[in-house]
Amino acid sequence: MAIRRTGIFYHPSFSRRSYLTVGRRLAEFPGALKDLLTSPQVVLFESPAVSDDLILRVHTKELIDGVAKDPL
Amino acid sequence: MVDAAERIWLGELVNAFAFIGAGGHHAGRDFFGGYCCFNDVAIAIEKLRGAHGLCRAAVLDTDAHHGDGTRDIYRSDPAVLHVCLCGTEYVSADGTKVDVDIYDRCLEAGARSDDVYLGAATAAFAPRARSFGPELLVWYFGFDGHQGDYGDLGLTAACYRGLAGLVLALAEELCAGRLLVVLGGGSRTDLATSLIPPIIARLAEVRG
Repeated sequence: MAIRRTGIFYHPSFSRRSYLTVGRRLAEFPGALKDLLTSPQVVLFESPAVSDDLILRVHTKELIDGVAKDPL
Repeated sequence: MVDAAERIWLGELVNAFAFIGAGGHHAGRDFFGGYCCFNDVAIAIEKLRGAHGLCRAAVLDTDAHHGDGTRDIYRSDPAVLHVCLCGTEYVSADGTKVDVDIYDRCLEAGARSDDVYLGAATAAFAPRARSFGPELLVWYFGFDGHQGDYGDLGLTAACYRGLAGLVLALAEELCAGRLLVVLGGGSRTDLATSLIPPIIARLAEVRG
């Protein structure tokens, strides 16, 4: 029977700076995942960027432009 | 998060935890704010719908604040169940959009906030999810309602463990375990570090 895996999706930028917390809440990651990642059932992925075309299926062009201009 | 959703849908993963750089649930179709930029949950759902034929998704939002962006995007979409524990009470005519006013209940519960919150989440989400029949379950996991964070509802780690158990059991029961957990609000480093790894460990240990 194949192993059923759990994925963790993370990017180093999430720890360097976060709009929500000015960069501190995930400061201990990915180090805090060290023990979990010894399990063959847990796989770490680096979160890729998504395209503007995909974002436009949900949001308006004006929102994308507004986020780009926001000082965050 | 989109990648996580696709890998779950394609069967490479049974479930996943997605960290984020900015929040998502306060981003509506044409507005953003509240520390949110893009609605990550909606973008993932639309990716699965467009590329893979997803029809029905159920979202449980346990961030301390109302998921107004997600609600804005799916307000008229009966194929998305959105249950949000927040500060208002609402049920749409078709029953797929639900707000549960949890603030006063937690305030009154004091030391029993965990039990009250978990009970409210279970009562609001479990029967509706069973009736709805999702193909994917999404848990918008904010920890801002933890004691001492900015949305303090008096909650502790026990509540989040209980919520993880709830969504895991429902995912196993309803949609072959397909569960995507998305990080929402919460600001404290110590809480993120102590709360998130046990949630992921729980995701990884439930196996049929």
